[in-house]
Amino acid sequence: MWIALSYASWGISIVLALWMLYDWFKVDTTFSEEVLTSSREGDLEAVSEKHRI
Amino acid sequence: MTIALEPAVQEPAAQGDRVSLLRVLGPAHVWALGVGIVLVGEFTGWNFAADKGGALAALIVCWVVGLLYTSVAMIDSEVTSTVAAAGGQYAQAKHIVGPLMAFNVALFLVFAYTMLEVSDAILLGDTIVAKAGVEGLNHNAFIAATIVVLAWLNYRGVLMTLNVNFVITALAYVSIVILFFSVSPWTQGAVLKLNELVTPGNALPYGWIGVIAAFQFGIWYYLGIEGTTQAAEEVRSPARSLPYGTMAGMITLLIAAAMTWYVCASMMPWEYLGTTYYPLWDAAKLTGSPLLENLLFIATLLAALASANGCINDAARAWFSLGRDRYLPSWFAAVHPRYRTPYRSILFLLPIALAFAFIADLNQAITFSILSGVLQYTFMSINIIMFRKKWPLGSIRRGYTHPFHPLPAIVLFCLCVVTFFAIFLGFGSQLIAMVAFYFLISLWFHFYRYKFVRRGAQFTMPWPKPQGY
Amino acid sequence: MSRYTPPEQSKAGQVFDIAVVVVAIFVALWLPLKLGLAGAAKSIDALDAKTWEALGQNATMASIWEKLGYTPETAHDIIQNRFHYVIDWPTLIIMAAVLIGYFVFLFRASDREYRDVINEKFDDK
Repeated sequence: MWIALSYASWGISIVLALWMLYDWFKVDTTFSEEVLTSSREGDLEAVSEKHRI
Repeated sequence: MTIALEPAVQEPAAQGDRVSLLRVLGPAHVWALGVGIVLVGEFTGWNFAADKGGALAALIVCWVVGLLYTSVAMIDSEVTSTVAAAGGQYAQAKHIVGPLMAFNVALFLVFAYTMLEVSDAILLGDTIVAKAGVEGLNHNAFIAATIVVLAWLNYRGVLMTLNVNFVITALAYVSIVILFFSVSPWTQGAVLKLNELVTPGNALPYGWIGVIAAFQFGIWYYLGIEGTTQAAEEVRSPARSLPYGTMAGMITLLIAAAMTWYVCASMMPWEYLGTTYYPLWDAAKLTGSPLLENLLFIATLLAALASANGCINDAARAWFSLGRDRYLPSWFAAVHPRYRTPYRSILFLLPIALAFAFIADLNQAITFSILSGVLQYTFMSINIIMFRKKWPLGSIRRGYTHPFHPLPAIVLFCLCVVTFFAIFLGFGSQLIAMVAFYFLISLWFHFYRYKFVRRGAQFTMPWPKPQGY
Repeated sequence: MSRYTPPEQSKAGQVFDIAVVVVAIFVALWLPLKLGLAGAAKSIDALDAKTWEALGQNATMASIWEKLGYTPETAHDIIQNRFHYVIDWPTLIIMAAVLIGYFVFLFRASDREYRDVINEKFDDK
């Protein structure tokens, strides 16, 4: 039972790793680098948190 | 919303064009992130403190290090409720001390969390192998599954990740409480035999130097609670949720640590307690109840999972922030357009964690993690003093103001010095090697890498100019 | 003060920098393992008489060891495996110097960089 479980673990790991690689490739080819790296620190901060005294 | 009344905001609020992390988390998620990472320390790791100084030393450091972490939580809550950005202490350092410090702090974070994740995965693998007791069963399969499945979960979105963490952390916590109450903690002698196991003769087998040495693993009772700050950019109301979740987490952990010590020290001789990998699971076995034994076996796995899960979350955000400010190639700063997670950072750290989980052993991985943690706490004690100096109370809005300043900072600093000494007693050469690494990579950053960094733009908080500049 | 414009980094440069960081991480974490520097200084103080009494275990402790599946022979190496705390002053002084030097460098270099940041952020409007 435990041996089977360990094979199942390898199986799951490989499938999920491949899925992530596939999704990564798909995202990187679908969207431009500008869009993907457009997050800026403090963006939401500036809207939701007012440092007003 | 009163955006229109705030012309001081410089960045255009054109959020539609941007892909950013999602603000979806509440205080319960913050609690789950903090406690989830740490709780595994009760299931393994803290007990090595007994090895270094005896059972009583483990209790003393549980309290004294608890004081250290209460200072950490208080200081962290104040700074982070004000500097609410992914990267947590990294963003704090960037705004308060300077870029090179921030770079180092981010590396402390990534190392501490990645090595903690590695320890969790090794623990999980070893626990399953110990339970199975099957000849030839290797822990690598379970290690790989842990790291990959959790990375996948993190890749798919932060809300689900932390919902899962909340559930498994709560289950693991409840199991400690159940174990505590099922050994009739109110009477000694029936199941618990504290006065026969911890005697005046063996309570401190190495004397007081053993107590000092035990500080190193005493850290493990609480290491990671400061990770709550990494969620700052994904919490709906950081100024309120972060202090609340962090403090609640700290209280929860102090209770869990006290219960764990009491049960374990009353059931096992310190020599065994100090070397086992599964103190709580062993305690459950010694009760003779199969139900408790299985419960604590599952709880050990859940705690390890929760911790590794939180660590992937935190390490990836710290790495992501480095990329976003171009401290590292900006390639890492990508956010997944659909899941809104720092997916490239998650993927990049995955093979590194896997590699170390396959080659290191539990003790070593834990030590790496502790080292980076203590370096970071040393920074925090100085950081808060600079923060209060540059922006005194009243000059900016703080979500939370911690009491008794500068006492917590001084306590924290002194305890860090003691812990460095404790690490020196046994792990000194490792400490020197680590610091040498940080020093070299700092030179690399200061003299080469920093030229790719924009200067004024990295200061993103809408604050007034710091005093003294 | 004029605004500092950082150079754009080429793709190859980015890849190279990532490689540098990865190698540095592996060297820092893996080398101590390889050189056997990691891990505490413990050694076994061997005893000839292998009984629970000789190992300093009272009746309660002995019964727990037995419940855990140990005999005095198998427990010997666990119980007698002890730390030997000696304060090696030269190493301690080196360690303290390395740590203090590191932090002093960090804060001073950070402060220099920080002044640029503040100047550009607040004087450049």
